[in-house]
Amino acid sequence: MRAALIVSCALLTACAVDTEPLPQVTGGNAERGRDVIREYECGVCHVIPGIPAASGRVGPALDAYARRPYIAGKFPNQPETLVRWILDAPAMAPQTAMPAIAMSHQEARDAAAYLYESD
Amino acid sequence: MIAHRHKVLFSVIGAVALVVLGAVVSMVILLSGAYSTAATKQHFLITYRILELGLKYSVASNAADIVVPDLKRVANVEVGHACYREHCVQCHGAPGVARDPLGRGQLPSPSSLEQSAREWPSSHLFYVTQQGVRMSGMPAWEFRISEQGLWSTVAFLKRMPTMTAAEYKQFTASSANAECPKPTTAGVYSNERAQLMLRQYACDNCHIIEGMVGPVTHVGPSLENWRERKYIAGVLPNTPENLVRWIVDPQGVSPHTLMPDLKVIEPHAQHMARYLMTASD
Amino acid sequence: MPSQASSSVIHPAPNSGAELIDQLGTVLYVGGAVIFVVVMILAIWGVYGRGRTINPQRWIIGGGLVFPAVTLTVLLVYSLAVGNALTAIGTSNALQLFLECFGGGNAAANAREPSNGLLRIHVIGKQWWWEVRYEQPGNGEPVVLANEIRMPTNQAVELVLSSTDVIHSFWAPSLAGKVDMIPGRTTRLRLQTSEEGTFRALCAEYCGGQHALMMLFVVTQEPTAFNAWLAQQREPAVAPTDSFLTLGHDAFFKGECHTCHTIRGTPANGTDGPDLTHVGSRKSLAAGVLNNHIGTMAGWIAGPQEVKPGNKMPETKAFTGVELRALSAWLGSLQ
Repeated sequence: MRAALIVSCALLTACAVDTEPLPQVTGGNAERGRDVIREYECGVCHVIPGIPAASGRVGPALDAYARRPYIAGKFPNQPETLVRWILDAPAMAPQTAMPAIAMSHQEARDAAAYLYESD
Repeated sequence: MIAHRHKVLFSVIGAVALVVLGAVVSMVILLSGAYSTAATKQHFLITYRILELGLKYSVASNAADIVVPDLKRVANVEVGHACYREHCVQCHGAPGVARDPLGRGQLPSPSSLEQSAREWPSSHLFYVTQQGVRMSGMPAWEFRISEQGLWSTVAFLKRMPTMTAAEYKQFTASSANAECPKPTTAGVYSNERAQLMLRQYACDNCHIIEGMVGPVTHVGPSLENWRERKYIAGVLPNTPENLVRWIVDPQGVSPHTLMPDLKVIEPHAQHMARYLMTASD
Repeated sequence: MPSQASSSVIHPAPNSGAELIDQLGTVLYVGGAVIFVVVMILAIWGVYGRGRTINPQRWIIGGGLVFPAVTLTVLLVYSLAVGNALTAIGTSNALQLFLECFGGGNAAANAREPSNGLLRIHVIGKQWWWEVRYEQPGNGEPVVLANEIRMPTNQAVELVLSSTDVIHSFWAPSLAGKVDMIPGRTTRLRLQTSEEGTFRALCAEYCGGQHALMMLFVVTQEPTAFNAWLAQQREPAVAPTDSFLTLGHDAFFKGECHTCHTIRGTPANGTDGPDLTHVGSRKSLAAGVLNNHIGTMAGWIAGPQEVKPGNKMPETKAFTGVELRALSAWLGSLQ
């Protein structure tokens, strides 16, 4: 019995592989972010986890967003960059189909926070 | 005396217990990181010999169906040398030419082909060059060198052990204008070959692709259910023609995109596009 | 979809047909509850009461014949009066006297002397959107729009309802009851309210796969604001004011949108889909399904089958990313 205990402890610690912490949006609230995404209906173009009405295929799915190295295939995925992208994508990539969304800076932060915390 | 039926029962219990014990021990070894994956740690001799033998027998079995053409007619030694210069010498070296650092830090170490070329039949050399060797640094060249180029490379390999260092150097100068030919066709379409192409261009290293075993990667968007998507890179409408155009020239479609120019030839791009558009059927 | 719109039957708009219905409902509910309680008390008394003798005949005739006859007659008269009041909104009617006695006839009473005559709006149900045509005085061309109705407060409006394919039903829960829209027939529904606001209306008769996403907004406004809006809707579309909007305008034709949609003031005169002359001024897109801004416009144009699977707007691969944004911006500019 003791041997089994030692083995399982070893296994448990072994399973916890170290990884770098994922990015977070300072000053962004994921709960509010979900409401922002619902209100602006981002789901018309994107599949977004946790939001059933979000079923669009115009843009890419936004699952596991924190783990993505890049935003829109061009920009390193960092919180401030994502906020800027949400607010005015054409300013960063003039040929994109994603329009500038008339939302406040805080709303964009909250939406970014939600995306970073979604699976 | 233990009754016969008890003997059977005990044997079964014993066998199951052994299997379970084996599984537990393997898990412990795996999860504790006790097995070293470093290229700097030497194999056990028995491991090395088993892997070596395994390679030999696997290649022999899988290359048995390859019919070697008349190399004098089909192959061009200078073309083969061009291919060797472009793709092989960096890891394998050549007479009087050291391999690059690329070829020095590997485990297993890339063979010195002067010896392999003397010992291995042409069909085996062709097979390894075309298909690569998994879990080693030897890539598959099927989709980067045409079949004629591959046979030419084999022909050159057969010639290489006969050269001195000086002769090799001279041969390099005299065949400087030869080029290693790329494939120009993709053959008959099949889902398996399309998947192979996607892997051979390393697409599955940045994109999750339906039906393929690979890393869970988020560098690029997932390509699952690609047919349902409306836009390619947010810029071009998602049609088969546009998809081929994108694969062949991403920078031309969307400057500064992080999808690199992988020099995909158009016939390969068409197969890959067809796979992506139909995979969810 | 826009979240501020009211669509509650139990919180009807003031001085509307829905208010009369709500009052009738309350009377029935409360009355029924009272009768239930009384009957239960009698039943309990009958079982546990200390054996008092009663006159059975009096109870049977009184409770079983007289009481129901009286109650139901009163109810019949009342509900007929309500029904009459609903159809009488906007016209003078002798029964209004009846209604005023019950205190439920405000809607009819306020509109006894309509000032401009009845405002008639034709609403034609189609799978799965609403064509809306405002009748103009003197046989003028009707003002055509889609998927939104606006009306002035304190003025009766008559919806002339019909359908070109299957049976639909118009229901604005906070304003009035349901009236079916039947192909080959015309039905009528009168609306009125004294309150400014936005009310959600929806299709109330199963009409195919997207029945649940066939909605629209009824917006009530002060008469001056309403008249200004109607005048605006009568105008042809504004010309694009910059090169980006011009790109959008050109994309509309490149993408063959004009084969199904009309935009007055341009060559687009298709009639299979909603009129888009003033689509930018509407509170919703896709018949009450989406908010109306450039993002939802683009998402709808590029992916209609994900929003409303099976609806009649086809998928298109005609627009590059820039063209999609320009087209969405141009349509949004059509106020």
